[in-house]
Amino acid sequence: MRDLIQLKKATQAALCLECGKCSTMCPLARFGGFSAARMMSIHEPEGEIHGHAAAVQRCLTCGACEVRCPQGVRYTEFVRGLRVELPEETRWSCPHGAVFQESARWAAEGAVNGRNSSWLEDGLAVAEEGEVALFVGCLPLFDVVFGSELEVQMVEIARSAVRLLNQLGIEPVVVAEERCCGHDLLWSGEEETFEKLAVANTTAFEERGVRHLLTTCAECCRTWRLDYPRYVESYQPRVQHISEFLAERLEGESLSFQDLGEAGTMTFHDPCRLGRQLGVFDAPRQVMASLPGSEVVEMERSGADAQCCGTPGFIQCNRDSRRLQTQRLASAAATGASKLVTACPKCLIHFRCAQAEDRLNERQAAEIQIEDLTVLAASLLTIDKEAEKDSPSKR
Amino acid sequence: MSAPVCEIGGGEAQLAGCSLLIPDVQSEPLPILPVEPAPCTQACPAGINVKAYVSLIAEGRFAEALQVVRQHCPLPGVCGRICHHPCETVCRRGTVDEPISIRSLKRFVADLAVDEAPPAPWPLVDKDAKVAIVGSGPAGLTAAYDLRRAGYPVTIFEAEAEAGGMLRYGITEYRLPRDVLDSEIAYLAGVGLEFETGCRVGRDLQLEEMLEQGYVATLLAVGAQRGRPLRVPGAEACAGVEDALAFLRRVNQGDRSPVRGRVVVIGGGSTAVEAARSALRLGADSVDILYRRYREELLADEEEIRAAESEGIAFRFLVAPTRLIVEGEALEALECVRVGLGEPDASGRRSPIQIPGSEFRVEADRVLAAIGQAADLEFMPPEILAQVSENELLRVDPLTTMTGLQGVFAAGDAVSGPATVIDAIAAGHQAAEAIQHYLEEGRPSIAPQAPELRAPLEYGLPDSPPLTADRGRPELRSLKAGAEFAEVERPFGEAEAVEEARRCLRCGPCGECRVCTPSCRRRHIMVRFPVGDGSARRAPILLRAPGSIAMSLSNQSSTRAQLLPESRPRLLPEVAPSEGDSVEVSPVRVQIVEEQCRGCGRCIEVCPFGAITLSGEGPDSVARVEPSLCRGCNLCCAICPTAAAEPNALSVTWWGSRLADAFDGRAEAVNEAGPIVVLACQRRAGSIEPTLYQHSAHVEVIRFRCVGQVDAGMLVELYRRGASSVLVAGCLTERCRFGEGAHQATEQVARAQRLISLLGGGQDRVRSDWSVDRAGDPIETPVLRMIAEVFGARPDKTGRQPC
Ligand SMILES: Cc1cc2nc3c(=O)[nH]c(=O)nc-3n(C[C@H](O)[C@H](O)[C@H](O)COP(=O)(O)OP(=O)(O)OC[C@H]3O[C@@H](n4cnc5c(N)ncnc54)[C@H](O)[C@@H]3O)c2cc1C
Ligand code: SF4
Ligand code: SF4
Ligand code: SF4
Ligand code: SF4
Ligand code: SF4
Repeated sequence: MRDLIQLKKATQAALCLECGKCSTMCPLARFGGFSAARMMSIHEPEGEIHGHAAAVQRCLTCGACEVRCPQGVRYTEFVRGLRVELPEETRWSCPHGAVFQESARWAAEGAVNGRNSSWLEDGLAVAEEGEVALFVGCLPLFDVVFGSELEVQMVEIARSAVRLLNQLGIEPVVVAEERCCGHDLLWSGEEETFEKLAVANTTAFEERGVRHLLTTCAECCRTWRLDYPRYVESYQPRVQHISEFLAERLEGESLSFQDLGEAGTMTFHDPCRLGRQLGVFDAPRQVMASLPGSEVVEMERSGADAQCCGTPGFIQCNRDSRRLQTQRLASAAATGASKLVTACPKCLIHFRCAQAEDRLNERQAAEIQIEDLTVLAASLLTIDKEAEKDSPSKR
Repeated sequence: MSAPVCEIGGGEAQLAGCSLLIPDVQSEPLPILPVEPAPCTQACPAGINVKAYVSLIAEGRFAEALQVVRQHCPLPGVCGRICHHPCETVCRRGTVDEPISIRSLKRFVADLAVDEAPPAPWPLVDKDAKVAIVGSGPAGLTAAYDLRRAGYPVTIFEAEAEAGGMLRYGITEYRLPRDVLDSEIAYLAGVGLEFETGCRVGRDLQLEEMLEQGYVATLLAVGAQRGRPLRVPGAEACAGVEDALAFLRRVNQGDRSPVRGRVVVIGGGSTAVEAARSALRLGADSVDILYRRYREELLADEEEIRAAESEGIAFRFLVAPTRLIVEGEALEALECVRVGLGEPDASGRRSPIQIPGSEFRVEADRVLAAIGQAADLEFMPPEILAQVSENELLRVDPLTTMTGLQGVFAAGDAVSGPATVIDAIAAGHQAAEAIQHYLEEGRPSIAPQAPELRAPLEYGLPDSPPLTADRGRPELRSLKAGAEFAEVERPFGEAEAVEEARRCLRCGPCGECRVCTPSCRRRHIMVRFPVGDGSARRAPILLRAPGSIAMSLSNQSSTRAQLLPESRPRLLPEVAPSEGDSVEVSPVRVQIVEEQCRGCGRCIEVCPFGAITLSGEGPDSVARVEPSLCRGCNLCCAICPTAAAEPNALSVTWWGSRLADAFDGRAEAVNEAGPIVVLACQRRAGSIEPTLYQHSAHVEVIRFRCVGQVDAGMLVELYRRGASSVLVAGCLTERCRFGEGAHQATEQVARAQRLISLLGGGQDRVRSDWSVDRAGDPIETPVLRMIAEVFGARPDKTGRQPC
């Protein structure tokens, strides 16, 4: 294979000792039929990689393996590289009729002339141009697919972000021409399509003079921060997950929250992209801790050891996904917390889905409330009435 | 009923219209009905494959439907009119709203063949065993038909001038027009049945003589032609009293002399009702039917009774005549008594007991007696007479249908007493089988054991709303002066018939029609070309085949097969295989990829046939499909979030090739705009494709087993690939043979519309349409509307829009 050596070097896979430590961390190893370490033994010659296709596609790219690797192998990058090389027919069918992939491909082809911003409400102040921007991502699309089935309203995450930012005196730029960040396409090997999205998005935000970009999604955040710069060198704004931005401004600023009262115990699920891949562990916990009456408890596996929600992006969903979700929900419930908080809309959907399925099939379900961090914080804001009156109305 | 077998043996499957070499299937013959057949099919005494022909009518394949009927019924037009239709009584659609009007559907296909030229005679086998059939009623005709089909020369001896038995001389013209009967008899003569009419056995020809003439087996199918006399003093001598059968015989022979005054008919069977209606037509002032039991115990068919009542005939129940009141020569009235009912007798009916002192008068100028029938056997030789049982019927061994005389069999009303046409046909089949066995093995066959069926299956019913339109029997025409003997029942029109047949729920695993032609639209076996063969012929083709073949192919894997010379399927040229091609054969039902299934149970919710269950505990549970229940509608595939439910019939490769057809294949498109893509169910698509392609080169039709399989992802993809408009069209929910298709698809369309508009596309460019649902004018209209909208004006036949 043309680039295998290249890829191994670039991801340090060439340094692999075949020690097997990665397998001890890998959540899939427990289900059998999958060995992280064995995948590292993909060598030449050409064609051999095809025999590994099923394993390469099955990997969650959660990165748990990387944490213990003595050689610093960038395992997930290696898997991603392999996916680019694998023929299309070995790709798994994407969940939900691949509807998000299709939407993203379409966006990449430029047919999109403006994402609907009907989620904006009165009282939310946003700007056309400026320093700080909010990247909304696919939240409105999620509502179409999951809104009624899972009883979620994902655009509320975007509204909450604007609400919090307004409270901090910021009117974030919201870009009508933004596209899907392309995360799911990138991780299923569609590099070329991804590149088009990267170019389109960066161009749109650069034109608005944005220097500082906030996301409410762990995956968008990773994509903007780590992946876009590889394709677009000329424009590299500061990219932060909203939890990082809030954590920096907790002290001395105008954010004040109501008391949580009874329901104050909560636990945090680290999204793989935010935690292990961007190293953001503390910020969301700081935001949670700053909510009056809160008590943050930890699950059995958290921080760098956190277990994946089972479905990275909307790339693959299967038996593994359900088992991981069930386990994760059980350990969340075992903490005694009343809320499972996460900082990624996709994790939230996947967990809600597992709960809904249990109810549908009358199975014992872990009935813990699943909440998005941004929504939780915004819902507790004590709004400064005076400030609101002065703020410019919705554009 | 024995399980018919399909001819799979020695590793070779012969499917009608197509032969496949399937090397890996069992070499034992496989029963075609390994699971419980549909209720209708089970209920038919003659074993007509009801579900199969109803299914074929639904697809507009009328000739094939008639062929299916003819498999078991030599008289489709007759049965299509006067059968008492036990199939409808049990039809499962009846639990939803009204049963399918199966009988009228049969009539519909039979009528299409009335003017057909008689067929060429069936070949004879090289055997000198001739068979004599005495009597040309339905029993005799059926036995002759079966034996002739098996290759035996048969002669039917009929006492009357014309063949047909009670069909001609008992049943009246307004129910069974003579041209229908004549054309069916002509058909039978055409296939090679010999008729000797005007030959009464016992008078013109003796039984012994028949043996001398080389008839090695004889079937007595002489019916129950003699009416029982009215047991009232003086009845024989009275001119005003007539046997109802004799009366009908005269009427049916063309005697239309008027009937005057008040007519009283005594009896409660078909004969009584027929005589009453005929008398009314001939001018009687009033007609009353006296019956000694309750209404519920009337032997005539419920519909006949209602028709009679609507024509003005009055029924009086629990009444028996005791005396004739005669004034001089003329009959004045009947003296009757009221009747109570005693203990149930052997037949389970309570026997009437006269109540003393309850006598009353019923005015009558004419009495027609229809109180029972017996076989007319007087001219039979004494050894036959010895076989006559106490109630003047022939006695046979119930298993072999043979009388006490070697080589002499009997069937029909002559054995059972007055029954029905379809029972006579069933008896004819049984006798023919016994005779054939007798001729080949030297002894009559023992009636075969009923095949062992699998446990009855619970078929899920589609959750369809009750129909608003009256889909019952076409209404009776009212009596018109001058046309009293014109047929009363209105026939179905073609559109109506198709619509009616589409209501059928297709109970059971496969159509069982055995019209296994490769162009099947209701596909049960799938034949695929080897993957990666690189040519344009990558799409799977699907054969219709009996369910058992599909089931015998192992659950997951498919089997390799080779096409034999005569098996060139009628298909799109790009996919038509040719002789010697190696293809893959696999069942069409859905498969669950276990590792991909998250056990979410969504599929269970949508499966209209209850085919899916979850097995295993908690997070390890996976969906399982019961193969005999799955009908491959693929609704589960649309709902499955993980693509674990895999449409066997519509693979990713298939979708890819359809997309290629729609977009790449038309690269030299005359218009800037992309094609209009129509996603339609096979039923809808079939009839419109040619027309649409004529209208515009810019329309691409993609067929699905059911459009309920379409998901939002597909629609967005079509839009992204440049479709200028996408139309999803299929049957209305209550017409969908899978029940739920429209409902599922509508949801997916709504989802796609919202996504497309969020992404900045025009959401009205993706639409669903269920509005036009008449056969013959299916989805054409909305598509033409779409063409007009997209291209600004109706494009001409080349697809170019007028400037
Ligand atoms: C008025 C009436 C209405 C009916 N309506 C219905 C109905 O609506 N639906 C329904 O299902 N059934 C109906 N039936 C019943 C049905 O017609 C009979 O059950 C059926 O025809 C019996 O068929 P078969 O072949 O046994 O005898 P038949 O039809 O009686 O035929 C016997 C034949 O044998 C001939 N024959 C007799 N003796 C000799 C001999 N010695 N030599 C040569 N030929 C001989 C006779 O001429 C006759 O043609 C009705 C019957 C009557 C009388
Ligand atoms: S990325 Fe996650 S799923 Fe993939 S090998 Fe590593 S630990 Fe296992
Ligand atoms: S832990 Fe690192 S060095 Fe060890 S086998 Fe896995 S990838 Fe190789
Ligand atoms: S619904 Fe169709 S298959 Fe089922 S009993 Fe009625 S006619 Fe037969
Ligand atoms: S294909 Fe249709 S019948 Fe078969 S399991 Fe799926 S939903 Fe049920
Ligand atoms: S819908 Fe799909 S994932 Fe869910 S149980 Fe059915 S087959 Fe499995």
